[in-house]
Amino acid sequence: MSAQANAIPFTRDRNLLGVALFIGSESLFFLSVVIAFVVFREQGLATAKAQLDIGRTALFSVLLFASSGTMGLAAARRSRAWLGLTALLGAAFLAGQGLEYARLLGAGLRPGSEMFGTTFFTLTGLHAAHVLVGLVLLATVLVASLARPRRVGQTAWEGIAMYWHFVDAVWVVVFSVVYVGTVLG
Amino acid sequence: MTATALARRPGAFATAGVLRTVDHKDIGIMYVLLGIAFLAIGGLEALLLRVQLATPGEHVLDPSTYDQIFTMHGITMIFLVAIPMLVGFANYVVPLQIGAEDVAFPRLNALSFWLTLSGGVLLYLSFVAGGAPDAGWFAYAPLTEPAHAVGNGMDWYIFGLAVSGAGTIIGAINLAVTILLMRCPGMVMGRAPMFTWMVLITSVLIIAAYPILTSALVMLLVDRQLGGRFFDPAGGGNATLWQHLFWSFGHPEVYIVVLPAFGMISEIIPVFSGKPLFGYRFVAASGIAIGFLSFGVWAHHMFAVGLGDAENAFFSATSMLIAVPTGVKVFNWLATMWRGRIRLAMPMVFAIGFIATFVIGGLTGVSLAVVPIDLYTTDSYYVVGHLHYVLFGGTMMAVFAGLYYWFPKVTGRLLGHRLGLAHFWLTLVGLTLAFLPMHLLGIEGMPRRVWTYPPGMGWDWPNLVSTIGSFLIAAGAIALAANVWRSLRAGERAGDDPWDAFTLEWSTASPPPSYNFDAIPQVRGKRPLWDRKHPDRMDPL
Amino acid sequence: MASSLEPIVVLSLVVGAIAAVIFAGVLVALIVFTIRYRDVRTGSAPQIHGHRALEIAWTGAPLALLAIIFVLSLVTLGQIGQGATFGSLEPPLHVDVIGHQWWFEFRYPGGAVTANELHVPVGVPIELDLSSADVIHDLWVPELGAKSDVVPGQRNVMRLFTARAGTFSGECAEFCGLEHAWMRVLVVAEPRADFDRWIAAQSAPASGTAGRGLEIVRSAVCSSCHVVRGQVAGTPIGPDLTHIASRTTIAGGVLANTADALRAWIGDPQRYKPGALMPKVPLSSDDLDAVVAYLESLK
Repeated sequence: MSAQANAIPFTRDRNLLGVALFIGSESLFFLSVVIAFVVFREQGLATAKAQLDIGRTALFSVLLFASSGTMGLAAARRSRAWLGLTALLGAAFLAGQGLEYARLLGAGLRPGSEMFGTTFFTLTGLHAAHVLVGLVLLATVLVASLARPRRVGQTAWEGIAMYWHFVDAVWVVVFSVVYVGTVLG
Repeated sequence: MTATALARRPGAFATAGVLRTVDHKDIGIMYVLLGIAFLAIGGLEALLLRVQLATPGEHVLDPSTYDQIFTMHGITMIFLVAIPMLVGFANYVVPLQIGAEDVAFPRLNALSFWLTLSGGVLLYLSFVAGGAPDAGWFAYAPLTEPAHAVGNGMDWYIFGLAVSGAGTIIGAINLAVTILLMRCPGMVMGRAPMFTWMVLITSVLIIAAYPILTSALVMLLVDRQLGGRFFDPAGGGNATLWQHLFWSFGHPEVYIVVLPAFGMISEIIPVFSGKPLFGYRFVAASGIAIGFLSFGVWAHHMFAVGLGDAENAFFSATSMLIAVPTGVKVFNWLATMWRGRIRLAMPMVFAIGFIATFVIGGLTGVSLAVVPIDLYTTDSYYVVGHLHYVLFGGTMMAVFAGLYYWFPKVTGRLLGHRLGLAHFWLTLVGLTLAFLPMHLLGIEGMPRRVWTYPPGMGWDWPNLVSTIGSFLIAAGAIALAANVWRSLRAGERAGDDPWDAFTLEWSTASPPPSYNFDAIPQVRGKRPLWDRKHPDRMDPL
Repeated sequence: MASSLEPIVVLSLVVGAIAAVIFAGVLVALIVFTIRYRDVRTGSAPQIHGHRALEIAWTGAPLALLAIIFVLSLVTLGQIGQGATFGSLEPPLHVDVIGHQWWFEFRYPGGAVTANELHVPVGVPIELDLSSADVIHDLWVPELGAKSDVVPGQRNVMRLFTARAGTFSGECAEFCGLEHAWMRVLVVAEPRADFDRWIAAQSAPASGTAGRGLEIVRSAVCSSCHVVRGQVAGTPIGPDLTHIASRTTIAGGVLANTADALRAWIGDPQRYKPGALMPKVPLSSDDLDAVVAYLESLK
């Protein structure tokens, strides 16, 4: 309503503001878990150096970061193709995480085996769960826009894009703290 | 009935039944009823505890039962009473106060309610499914770790709080977006009602603080179910990490339950003094200051943990600092009453009582910010006295005031004055007898969270007095229940504006139609109704 | 200084007085305003919106007052905190404190180990080195002032002091499970000569009467949790029993240390302290008598 928009200082969309606030909340959630990781970082450094495969994880990370780019394009153009590519890249990242988990578990690293196991699996596991939710959201938009394209409003595309960028940003932090931090530590 | 006629029919659940409604007014009522139901349960728990502690060496409750009940009492009162009731008031009142038709996301609003209720059900299921949580509402590790915990009460704690917490976060996002983007024309934030202001700040606090609790709950779950070691020193973990995380949530939490209360008092005192709120800008600013500071004081719950002198000194300083904006509010309320035309209707009676009882709690809080004093009083009954003065003498008294104030708007009828006075005096005398002696008990050395105590310590008579007080509080609650029951049937009818008030909710019918306002209001000042009723003496811009 | 409680009392009186004055002021204002401005006539109130100078005043004054209290608190902390001497010239006595569910263990230099009863010499700063064997506890002797958490994986240091002889009651002050309420201690402050005699006796190995009781304690389940230095080589999970007969109470203060109480306790600990980690000891009545007689000889 134009009368409302004039009187109110912010002219942003309700849905996007809601998504932004939700992202703010989840950011603090991840900050808390990252801090817990950092508290025990030194204790787990030896195991981290021995067990982590930074090269392979970096490769899969690139896929995730690229998916942010494709997501941006998808939202700007409301393009199902770019959206599908985003989902594929995200799924590939998760597959990579799955391979990494399988390798580490096979090597005997578990949440209960030692301190690094606890912090590593908790932090990366929570991130992976958020990626999975993101994939579900992408699939929802994809399917909905296939069935009734006009019903999927611009804010839905933009809102989900915001969430996807957030999940990527969290991985930037997690990758830096866990992987790059291990190499440098 | 046509759609229009249905929409025009006032009253609760006019558009849909309880299970399917997405109307903010209905949901507000549901939240408040939920709070009242759990208040009865939490109150019964309190009475059981007080009976056990009335005399030394009692065996009414065994240690295991006692531990579950004092834990559930705390969890219930904070998460299932205070939060739902305040969120309920916010849901009902804020959209009306800002001239909006509903909240930003009505269906999410309903979801928030059902999540909160589900969390409560999960928590109480624990009693019949392996035992309730029994490590206190703040559940310190490593007592909660698999090595030391008995039963799976703590798993119910984790899931119950996670589920209801999710509801609370979603509800806060809803309220924040509503207040930020749905105010009616002319209502810049500088003209918004103080209750709306406080709800906005509270919502931001919830959005920022609850995720920290969620993270701690997840870590505890990893420890308990996946063999993790976050909080287990034997495995390399840190015993105090839980406390840091919990209180980083927990201290903002207590401001979450008190700021909306401050907001209600800030509405009531001006109306019943016939004057504008003194120092509106400073009251708003002090709320913002409290919001920020609340994240910097958490370790004042940990002065005895052994963090270090410098750390203790820092948190002592910030904790003393946060008393200043709180004091600013109190002084502004008093200045609002000064030279006013004071009407002692029930909302004002409770608001005045609130100031007295909350200030006591606030002052003992300042004493607890002084490290050497805290090292004596922490974990003793002094703290139990303090927390009940601020939570009951503060939040609950304000909720009672708000109940008498907004009941006519919600139901179209006034609550009775005589029963109201009975409720007030029973409550005031009851809380004084129940909680004032606790300060003495703490000074005399009685620790908290004990299922019994030895005789001959000088702790006997204060405990007995405290128990008597708790029953008086219960009697007061019965008076309130009787008042509500009677008034719903045969109470004096209230018009749109029974209190000669200032804010927009009083410009529409009691109860409001489902769409709230016949026409979207336009405001020019902080007191739209005052301006309308006194066009010759409007508030300066 | 009379005790480590004294500086806290002084500070509390100052803060309490300030708080009382503030509360009285608020209460008087409330009562006076309610009575004076009660709406008994028509006409409306003056529409006063605020007063900036007043806001600055009632922000600044509390701030200044709190700053003063903060400084005073630092002074008090200096008097009772790390390295405090309490005006004594004596070197501090170190005692290691280990918290258990649900009893406190005290280990003195020289080998004395006792439970739930802490003897200290008067006029000497007592430096307690606190840690926990399981969950977080807290040692608090109210008549001696501050408390300190007892944390697993962490070493806390706390100093206490008294110039007067006496017996002071203390307790656990951090919820630690089922019998948190019965984790009480007795602090016995005595003149130096008496204390020296006590510690010498406590440091010495056991001199209990040999016989049936000792045999049972050695061979039965007792030694899987208890030690009697010099006579029973057990596993130190529960309290050290070397000089148990010298203590005033047993089981974290829930029972007095009499032969009857000891007998009743050993026969059924759960009856007196439900949840206690000591199991019911399956002994015949005669065996129980023998064990109690032996324990009574462990002075």
